[in-house]
Order: sequence, then structure tokens, then C-alpha cells
Amino acid sequence: MDRNHLLRQVAYMKNSLFDQGYLDREQFTQLEELQDDANPNFVEEIVTLYYNDSARLIQNMEQTLVNRPIDFVRLEEILHQFKGSSSSIGAKKVNDACTQLREYCSAENTEGCSRTLQLVKQEHAVLRTRLETYFQMVREAG
Amino acid sequence: MLESANGYYFNEYGRNNIQPDMILVEKDYWISGEDGSAKGQFLDLRQNGHVLKLPRLILLATNMSDDEFDKAKAAGFSDTVIMKPLRASMIAACLQQVLSVGMKKQAGKDAPNEPRVPIKSLLSGKKILVVDDNMVNRRVAAGALKKFGANVECADSGGTALKLLQIPHSFDACFMDIQMPEMDGFEATRRIRKMESQVNEQQMVNGGSTIDGTAKKSEWHMPILAMTADVIHATYEECLKCGMDGYVSKPFEEENLYQAVAKFFQSKPKPVSDS
Repeated sequence: MDRNHLLRQVAYMKNSLFDQGYLDREQFTQLEELQDDANPNFVEEIVTLYYNDSARLIQNMEQTLVNRPIDFVRLEEILHQFKGSSSSIGAKKVNDACTQLREYCSAENTEGCSRTLQLVKQEHAVLRTRLETYFQMVREAG
Repeated sequence: MLESANGYYFNEYGRNNIQPDMILVEKDYWISGEDGSAKGQFLDLRQNGHVLKLPRLILLATNMSDDEFDKAKAAGFSDTVIMKPLRASMIAACLQQVLSVGMKKQAGKDAPNEPRVPIKSLLSGKKILVVDDNMVNRRVAAGALKKFGANVECADSGGTALKLLQIPHSFDACFMDIQMPEMDGFEATRRIRKMESQVNEQQMVNGGSTIDGTAKKSEWHMPILAMTADVIHATYEECLKCGMDGYVSKPFEEENLYQAVAKFFQSKPKPVSDS
């Protein structure tokens, strides 16, 4: 496959991620603008950092819902951290799920929290796969 | 916020003594001069003896030639210009600039037709502390600042920041996240300012010599800028009250950052220090 073709694939993939609402266009683009010769893999590094950090946060959130009594304050603290990072990389669907979770958390609704935390995990996982594929393509395109 | 499609409604404001604090005008409307009365009315409102406070006039434009800008300025019209499409962060930065109360308007204030010092040289060699409890945000902030030439260090809490900022320190500025557990950005800033005023008082008492006898640093006041992803809730007053010098929205974008740091770093000679 020639390089131009690969570059077009990359652009197409990226636009799909934006159009399908997985990534916030403006946010992600701002990250890309920080990439340069001095930092050629900045975006991928940030995303990797995000996934390492957020995996831990999800585990912690799950733990709060297992403990009795449930510490909703703690859950909200962790969620705030998690949402902060998700926003930084423009993880739109993940963020929307977080907003739902936060509402159930404020209402101290256990069942609602469990359900929406699952949704957060799901979106988190889907985005991860999409981004892995995307960065793979970016690397191939050189 | 009130909207007006033409100049006639606008005139009603003056008659009913509704004084807007700020008027946003679409450039193409004003400059086309179709509704000729509007131009005059804007100026009247400003120069009208009955006006108790002058509203800030801001022009919105998708493009602006040097000529158009000169015209606007000459008409005593525009305090500043915001480029469309409107971006929340840009508006925030602009409003901040326009509404700066008691903040020194820097010499060589930014204007589209004046040569701008590129941001790369504004921050080049400056040592900046980024304070944020979120690892990803720290990395993004550091990445942005490094790209603009700064020498960046990070702290993951207000407490750590205070340790690093014990006087004397060699930082030129600090970007501080507002929402942090244990000690938030406002509290950390208050404590930094307290520390600075104590040292400044001490320096005055000692007749100008410093703690360790080295050349006196002119009065300690480090620029502290709040970082917030939530521009709406982070009130400007709250930031000022605790001693902050401004804010930028997260993640950084060049225009936003430029407006914020230009205040402090534009052609100011670095004070003598032993760093």
C-alpha cells in the first residue's frame, strides 16, 4: 500500500471517530497540535498514559460499589479524576457515560451506579480498541 | 443578555436607561453602514453624558483587514475583537482581558495590526510549575508549555507545590489546577501569597537585603494562573480574591495561553536573582 493511501486511511479513521461521537474533534485536534518533531508520538503517549491510569480508576470505582456501606463520596472523587482525564483526551462517549454515573452517585442510587459504571467500562473498552487500531495505522503510514 | 437585530431597538436601551455592561457587535453589520443610524448610536451611548458607566464594545468578525480594524479603532469603537467561530475559551480569554479590573494594562497591548511577540519566545527559558492532581492533565499541560519553549516542572498537589515554592525559588510562573483534593488551587494560592507578603515585609524591614544576603529580588509576586476545564463555574472573582492573576482553560490552546502569559512576560527584564 502506498503512503498516500495509508494517510487517507488514517484521516478516514479519525473522521469516523469524530463523526461517530467517540472523540471530541476540537479536544483531540488540540492534542495533535502539540505533536511535533521534538514530540513525534505525543498523542499516542498521552492516550497510553490515560489507559494505564484510567484502568486503575475503574477498578477503584468497582471496589467502592462492592464495599458496604457504599462510600458514594469516595466514588465521586474517583469519578472526578477519571472524568478529568477522559476530557483531556476528548473521550466523548466515555464522558457522557460518566455524567450519567455522576447523577446516580449524587442520588446514592446503587443499582443506577452499577449499571452506568458498566456502561463507562464498555465505552472505555470500545474506544481503546478503536484507538489501538488508529495508532497502528498511523505508525504504518509513517 | 439582550439581542438586537438593528439599531432601533438598541436606542430603546438608552431611553429606558438599561445600560449594558458589554456590547457585542457583528462586524459586517457595523461596517456596512446600511443602518447608518446605528453607528452614530453606538458612539452616542458611549459619549452620552448620562451614561454612568461605559459599556465595553467588542467586535465579532470572521475576518478583519488592517483597514477595517483601523476604522473601528478610529471610531473609538472597538475595545477588542473576537474572531468567529466563537470558541468558549477565546471568549473567556478576551473577556478577561477586557474586564481586567485593577490589572495593569501591559504596554504594547496586543492588537491585530501590531507585531506580536511570538509565544515561543515569550515562554522561552521560563521556568514554569504545573500543579494538577491528574496525571494525564499534567502531561498535557507540560507538553503544551514545553512546545512553547518553557522549562516545565510538575507537582501533583497543592502541598507539593508549596514545598517547591518556598522562597527563594526560581520559578517564573505557576499554572494551578483549581479542583484538587485536600488543598484546592484557591487555598494553595492564598498560602503562596501569604508567604510572599511575609518575605516582602521582611525585606523592607531589613532595608532591602534578602534572607541569604544575595542581591535583592524585587518584591516577590509570582504570576499564578488558574487552569480550569470548567470556565463557567470557575468564577473570575474567586480567582482574583485569592490572589490569582488570571486563568486559562484546559487543555491549552495557543491563543488562550498567549493572552494569559503576555501580561507577565512581555519585554520585562528578568529581575536579578541567584538562580
